[in-house]
Amino acid sequence: MEKLNQVLLNPAVQVGPDLAAWLHAGGGLGLQAALGAPSAIIRCIADADLRGMGGAGFPAWRKWEATANAVGDCKYVVCNGNEDEPGTFKDRTLLSASPHQVVEGALIAALAVRARCLIFYLNPHQDSSLHTMQQAVSQWQDSPWLDKLSHALGHPLDIKVVASSGRYIGGEETAVVASLEAGFPFPRKKPPFPAEQGINNQPTLINNVETLANVSHILRHGAGWYRALGVGKACGTKLYSLSGDVLRPGLYELPMGSSLQELVFHYGGGMLQGKAFKAVFTGGPSNTLLTARDLDVALDFDSVWLRHSRLGTGAMIVISEGSSIIRKVAEYIDFFAKGSCGQCPSCKCGTFQLARLLDRVDGGRHSPADLDALQHLCQILPGSGRCGLIDGAVTVVKSSLHTFPEEYGLLVQQTA
Amino acid sequence: MNAAIEYQQASQNRASHATPPRRADDLSVAALLAQYHPDHAADASTLLHIGPSRGQPCHPRLAQLLQSNALIDGFDLAGAEQRSTDVLVLGGGGAGAAAALTAARSGAAVMLASKLRLGDSNTVMAEGGIQAALAASDSPQQHFDDAMRGGHHAADPQLLAQLASDAPGVIRWLIELGMHFDLADPLSDGGKLRYKQAGGCSQPRILCYRDYTGLEMMRVLRETVELEPGIQLLNRCPVVELLSHQDGSCAGAVLYDLEYQRFIVVSARQTILATGGCGQLHLQGFPTSNHYGATADGLVLAYRLGAQLRDMDAFQYHPTGVAWPPRLRGGLISEAARSAGALLLNGLGERFVDELAPRDVVTAAMLRECAAGRGIERDGQLGLFLDLRPLCGPGLPTLASQLPALQHLADKCGIDPTRDPLLVYPTLHYQNGGVVIDSQGQSSVPGLLCAGEITGGIHGRNRLMGNALLDILAFGRRAGRQAARQAQAARNKSSLPHLRGGIEHVYRWQRQLALAGLDASQPAPLLYPGQARLTLHRPASARA
Repeated sequence: MEKLNQVLLNPAVQVGPDLAAWLHAGGGLGLQAALGAPSAIIRCIADADLRGMGGAGFPAWRKWEATANAVGDCKYVVCNGNEDEPGTFKDRTLLSASPHQVVEGALIAALAVRARCLIFYLNPHQDSSLHTMQQAVSQWQDSPWLDKLSHALGHPLDIKVVASSGRYIGGEETAVVASLEAGFPFPRKKPPFPAEQGINNQPTLINNVETLANVSHILRHGAGWYRALGVGKACGTKLYSLSGDVLRPGLYELPMGSSLQELVFHYGGGMLQGKAFKAVFTGGPSNTLLTARDLDVALDFDSVWLRHSRLGTGAMIVISEGSSIIRKVAEYIDFFAKGSCGQCPSCKCGTFQLARLLDRVDGGRHSPADLDALQHLCQILPGSGRCGLIDGAVTVVKSSLHTFPEEYGLLVQQTA
Repeated sequence: MNAAIEYQQASQNRASHATPPRRADDLSVAALLAQYHPDHAADASTLLHIGPSRGQPCHPRLAQLLQSNALIDGFDLAGAEQRSTDVLVLGGGGAGAAAALTAARSGAAVMLASKLRLGDSNTVMAEGGIQAALAASDSPQQHFDDAMRGGHHAADPQLLAQLASDAPGVIRWLIELGMHFDLADPLSDGGKLRYKQAGGCSQPRILCYRDYTGLEMMRVLRETVELEPGIQLLNRCPVVELLSHQDGSCAGAVLYDLEYQRFIVVSARQTILATGGCGQLHLQGFPTSNHYGATADGLVLAYRLGAQLRDMDAFQYHPTGVAWPPRLRGGLISEAARSAGALLLNGLGERFVDELAPRDVVTAAMLRECAAGRGIERDGQLGLFLDLRPLCGPGLPTLASQLPALQHLADKCGIDPTRDPLLVYPTLHYQNGGVVIDSQGQSSVPGLLCAGEITGGIHGRNRLMGNALLDILAFGRRAGRQAARQAQAARNKSSLPHLRGGIEHVYRWQRQLALAGLDASQPAPLLYPGQARLTLHRPASARA
């Protein structure tokens, strides 16, 4: 099968933790370009329109610029590799198959914001990625590249690989900060944003693994090259974690803005058993469901947003006719309920109640009042937590109620 | 049909000898099996394309079932009743009952689901007896040696050693439960057990009760299970799919309640498959002595979940199935008859094989006679004579007192066994291979155990008489004990309710089917033979 414009998953860069092999494959050229003109890095990233690939789709350069402009004597750059969402498996692949493109991108980010400390914050449950990154980072520490970098920065750069708590909530930006201050990963209220006051109140740049992995390629080939990779207005490529009822699930790197139709039916090999397409859970899965009407949507942050959903991490969990939406929603809400940090009562109790109600609906043990309760919770819960966990959970429930009311209704009749 | 000798002519040939002559063997055992045993027919083996045992030989009909689609989809589980238990036992035969009893008595909460009713199984049809090395002159080592030789040295030595050494304990357990055995001298007190000779054995080792040993065994097992408070019994609930956790381990099963026509999702910490064999598939066109429920359900489900199989091309064709009258075709005449002295005769009235050779050898020899035109034809049915006169001589106890089931069968055939021979032909009897297990009945899938005919490796490529009843109890009890232990360990680790599983493995399987280009239109397991015409009730989806 032809693979268009592969960058991150290009077979040539899947070299593992061997630094020499990475340099041989063209690694280091991005960092060299960055070292040549450190002040132009952020401009270049802005021109490339690199987005935050961890789910937000926020322009990366804004965070970089804010961190660079903030005042602080010990700025941090954190590479967030806590990835733990159901259906997302892109970061672990990057970290274990080609760790150096992530490290190099992070070094360029550290140079751009003039950081003193670079932290790789990784999920310990993904054993191989943590291990590979430790190997990869130790090779950079012994290389002349780091001396050049320190020279350009005017101070040494401290690089650490830190195992996160492995909890889902630990991937939230402010929870990363809390976790790295050696605490429990409790999310904090924003603002202040970490770019202004992060770890130890120092400006902190926190980027997803996939975001940083793109950086060295952009610096090496130029912003124009990166922009041209995308479809239409979208720039670059995106990793899509395709799973669910398709013939060939897996990780696909496609031009940003490829259509859902193309991903599912061309690359994914179509629906399993030739069943009809029913819906897709995107991102976390904490977003509005995309249905058969949305098959033509371009999978970039802005286009998906126009359909009142979000691209999120690029996870696409495909559901066919013949699978129960409620069962899936119940599964994910149960995940959120177990992942809630518990500091906001509305989130702690709300996710628990949602999970309990959905389990009853799924098991056919509910009364009509349970469905009312579900709908009421969807109205009162949003916006009540410090982080977005409760909002995401409600969005999925609300969307399933709105899009597939007959599944809830059908089950009511069965028990009646 | 091959040329054969007409019944009247054959009867005259038989009557012409006072003592039937024995024709000398002119073929080695290996050559006999290779040329005439049904397992070695050209169309009796193919290779599996997908799954954990791909590349291994398997009977084509069974391969078709193993590589088929699931009966249910995710939607079938929506709104289904949820139950949970420590140990879920699937199958209501002897192995299932023994496993459930042992697990419950080891402290686990047990659910036992049967697609028919508890005891409605091949166990009750076992007539001959059960092997156990209990006699003073006997030992488990000799038992092991006999079974190993009988299985053509293909058995797993560890499993077979455990079978032989568990045997005395199994008999003690059965007697404690209240099972009767024939005694050598029934009129004296503290009687000694009576041992009978089995085909392929170095000495008499069979214990029996008349010639309906399995029925007597199932009687006590059923009574005990029904009275055991730790066991919840679900009759008429076939298993339609297993459940899996994300890590691939078994999480329970989906049952279909025939009475209320609905699915039941059972979450279990440990699942024991004791669903038996596949006789109802009528492999190679043979009739079968097997029970209505022997449709290979467990094999299909275990394979789909990722359990390894072995020897799936080795089956046992019992030499003496009824050939005439046609309405009783395939019905079993116990090896107890030959053990007691009954003779096999061809149309010329001569013996052509040692009647107490291992079953596969006798079967191959019989098929050879038929192929050579020395078979006997009666009303279009081909067979050979089983001459019961040696059992009915003057001074011997009557057939009705020694082998009442055989007398009963002769009555049903309208035959007087003191005068007329029975017409017999090999019948599909037992599945030698099956799911690979370790010494505790654990399959290669965590959380999934197997016991009974569904397992492979214990008997090699041919089973001796009396080792099946022993196998179901020895390994049923082992699996039950192990499951209870594992469930207890899981409870100690976490007191949270166990996670409900899903059917993600089914989707993985469907992907493999599609990528291998196999036909995914045929669902399995069969649950019931074709004539049952079961259609699972599905709630109509408004969107479908």
